[in-house]
Amino acid sequence: MRAWLLARKDLRVYFRDRVAVALGFGLPIALCTVFGGAMGAIGGDDTLGRVEIAVQDDDHSEASRKLLSELGAADGLELDLVGPDEKGARERVAAGDVPVALAIGAGFGAALTAGDPLPLTLYRDPGKVIELQIVAGNLIPAFLGALGEDLGQRSIGKVLETLDFPLLGRERAQAILDRSWSSLSDLVQELERAPADGDEAPAAAVAVAAEGEKEDEAFDFASAVAEMLGLTVEDVVGGGEHGAAQRRAQQAQAVAGMAVMMLLFGLVHCGGTLLAEEAEGTLDRLRLAPGGPSSILLGKCLFTWLVGLSQLVILFLYGRAIFDVPVFRSPVALVVLSAAVAAAATGFGILFAVLCRTQKQLEGFSTIVVLTMSALGGSWWPLAFAPDWYRFLGHFTLNAWAMDGFQGIFWYGKGLTEIGLEIGVLAGIAVGAIGLALRLFERRLRVR
Amino acid sequence: MEASENVISVRGLVRRFGARAAVDGLDLELSAGECLGLLGPNGAGKSTTVRILSTLLAPSAGHVRVLGLDPVAEGARLRERIGVVPQELALYDELSAHENLAFFAELSGRTGAARTEAVSAGLELSGLAERRDERVKTFSGGMKRRLNVAIALVHAPELVFLDEPTVGIDPQSRERIFEMVAALRQRGTALVYTSHQLGEVERLCDRIVILDRGRKVAEGTLSELQQHPRVQQRGTATLRFESAAAARAAQAALGPRGATATLEEDRPGLERIFLDLTGRALRDDPEGGPEGGPEGGAAAREEAR
Repeated sequence: MRAWLLARKDLRVYFRDRVAVALGFGLPIALCTVFGGAMGAIGGDDTLGRVEIAVQDDDHSEASRKLLSELGAADGLELDLVGPDEKGARERVAAGDVPVALAIGAGFGAALTAGDPLPLTLYRDPGKVIELQIVAGNLIPAFLGALGEDLGQRSIGKVLETLDFPLLGRERAQAILDRSWSSLSDLVQELERAPADGDEAPAAAVAVAAEGEKEDEAFDFASAVAEMLGLTVEDVVGGGEHGAAQRRAQQAQAVAGMAVMMLLFGLVHCGGTLLAEEAEGTLDRLRLAPGGPSSILLGKCLFTWLVGLSQLVILFLYGRAIFDVPVFRSPVALVVLSAAVAAAATGFGILFAVLCRTQKQLEGFSTIVVLTMSALGGSWWPLAFAPDWYRFLGHFTLNAWAMDGFQGIFWYGKGLTEIGLEIGVLAGIAVGAIGLALRLFERRLRVR
Repeated sequence: MEASENVISVRGLVRRFGARAAVDGLDLELSAGECLGLLGPNGAGKSTTVRILSTLLAPSAGHVRVLGLDPVAEGARLRERIGVVPQELALYDELSAHENLAFFAELSGRTGAARTEAVSAGLELSGLAERRDERVKTFSGGMKRRLNVAIALVHAPELVFLDEPTVGIDPQSRERIFEMVAALRQRGTALVYTSHQLGEVERLCDRIVILDRGRKVAEGTLSELQQHPRVQQRGTATLRFESAAAARAAQAALGPRGATATLEEDRPGLERIFLDLTGRALRDDPEGGPEGGPEGGAAAREEAR
C-alpha cells in the first residue's frame, strides 16, 4: 500500500512535467522512426543504394558498347561515362568523385576476339569497402551478360584451333558449349530472380552482409571477382597494402564522424550556458553592463567556437596517435575546415540555446536533432552507398558537409581549394545560424 | 543631470503584465545622496519598479527619468552610472571572488591599475580579501551576499539599487552589508533599498515609500509615517494619585478627578505602520513564487521576455 502511495505520487509529479513526459515517450518514438527509417533505407533490398562507377571507353567497339549496355542495366550500378575531354577514370577515383572506375582500353574488342589478355583496368578506392562489394557483385552478371558467351566460345574455339582439332570435332565442341552456356545463363537468371521469391538476397546484398561479418573474406570476394573477369586492379588512393588501407579509411570515417557528432553535443552544451546564466541571474548582470545583447551573444559564440575548435584538434591528434588517421596531409586545409565546422556547430548550438526557454528543453530537443543529423549526415555510416534521397537530405545537415571535407583531406589528400565548397557551405551555415540567433536574442532581451 | 535635478523622478508610472497592473500610477522622487526605502508586501510592485528604473523593463505608461536620462531610450548611458544588487545571487560559482569582481570591473571598462584598485576595494569592502582566490561555490550564504553587493559597486556607480540584499544571511554578514551601505552614503551615492526587513529600512533609509498593489500608500520619513492618519495612534496613560484611597476612588469612578495625568505616546514602529497601512491579509500571489509576485526577479524576467 505504501509502495503504491509513493508510486502514485511519483506518477503525478512525472506527468505534470510535460517536458519529461515528452522526452520519456516522444524521444524514443522519434529516434526509432528516424533510425529505423535510415537503417531500412540503407539495408533494404528495394532501396539499396546504387554505386556510381565511372567508365572510360577508349575502344568504342561493338564489344565495349555491349559491355557498357550491360553495366548500365545492372541494378546496383550507376554508370558515369567519361567523355573524351573529361577527367579520366583513374583521376575520378583519386579525387573521391567515384569509388570505382573501369577503363576499357583501346583494342579491347580485338583482344576479346583473339583471346588475348583484355585491356580492362579497375581503379578502386580501397576505403569504399561496401561500395566495392556492391560493384563486384554487379560486375559478374554484367560481364557474363555482355561477354560471357563470346568469351567462352571464342576462347575454347581458340584452344581447339591451337590443338589442331578436326573441323567436325570443333563443330561438336561448339554445340556442347552452346548447351552448357544456355544452362549457365539460366542459372544466372535464376539467381538474379531469387530475391523476388524471398529466398535469397542478391549478390550485392550478400556482399554487404558479408562485409559486416568478415572484412578479409569480403576483400577476397571483390578481388577474386576482378581476377575472374580478367581485370587489372589498381588501388589509386590510400597507399600501402589493401587491407591496411581499408582499415585506415574506416578509422578515418569513424574519427571524423564521432568528432562531428560529439562536437555538436559539446557545443549545444556550451550554448546552453546562456540559459544557465539566465536561470542564475547573471544574464541580467551582463545586460546591465555596457555592450548590449549582441556583445553578450557574440562572446558566447567566441567561447563556444574556441571550445569546439580545441575539441576537434584534440580528437584528430588522438586519431592520429591511436589509429594513424592521416590528419597532417593538408594541415592548412584541416585547420580552416575545422574552424568552419566549429563555427557552424557553434551557430547551431547558440541558435538552439536561443530558441529554447530552459536547459531541460535544450537537452531534449538537441538530443533528437543531433542524433538525427548525425544519422542523416554520415557521422555513423558513409553516405556514399545511401539512396539518393537520403544523401540529398543528409546534405541539409552540417555533418554531411563536415564529413565530406574531412574525408577529402584525410583520405584523398585534398587541399584548401578542393574543399572550398564544403568550407563555404559550413561558413554559410555558421553565419546564417549566428545571425538568426543574434536577431532572436536581441528581440528576447529588448527592453519592453 | 542638472545639480538641482532629482536623481530619480517618476510621474504616473504604470507597468502592466497583461491585464494586471503591477505598478499603477506611481510617483517617486530621490534626491542626490538620499537613501530611499521601498517597502511593500509581496506583489506590491517593488521589484518591477526597480527593474524599470534600472533599464531592464520598460514602463507601460508614465514619465521616468533616472540621473536625468530616459531608462529606455538612453539605457546604455544610464547603465554605466547605476549599480544593481539583484534579489537573487548572481555570481559565477566556478570563479573566485577576485575573478568575479575582476570580470565585472573589466566589463565596465576598467583595465590595469583602475581594475586592480576597484577589485581590491570590492574585496576589502565585502570582507573577502582573505578568501579572494577561493571559488565562490565554497562560500557561505553570507559571503555570497556580500560579494553580490560588491560586484554591483565595482564600477563606482552614482546610484545603487539594492533589492533585498540581506535575504537569508547571518547577523554578521548583515552588519557588513550595512557598513557597505553606510560607506556608499558617505561617498554621496544615492540609494534605493527594498527589503522585507523593516528594521533595516528603518535604520538605513532617510525616506520610506510604502507600496501596495502597485500603488503608493504612504511616503515620508519615519516620524512622518508615524503621524499618518491611517496609522492607529495608541497611547499609555499613567495616573498618579496622592493617596491610595484617591486612586481607588478614581479607579472606581474611572474618572481623572484629583489626579495628575500624563500621557506617554506609544510611537509606532515601522512594522506596525506597515501593517496598518497595508493590512494583514496574506498576499500569496498565485503567479509569484518564493521571490514574491510576478514582479519578483525570475518572474519579472520571464515577463520581460
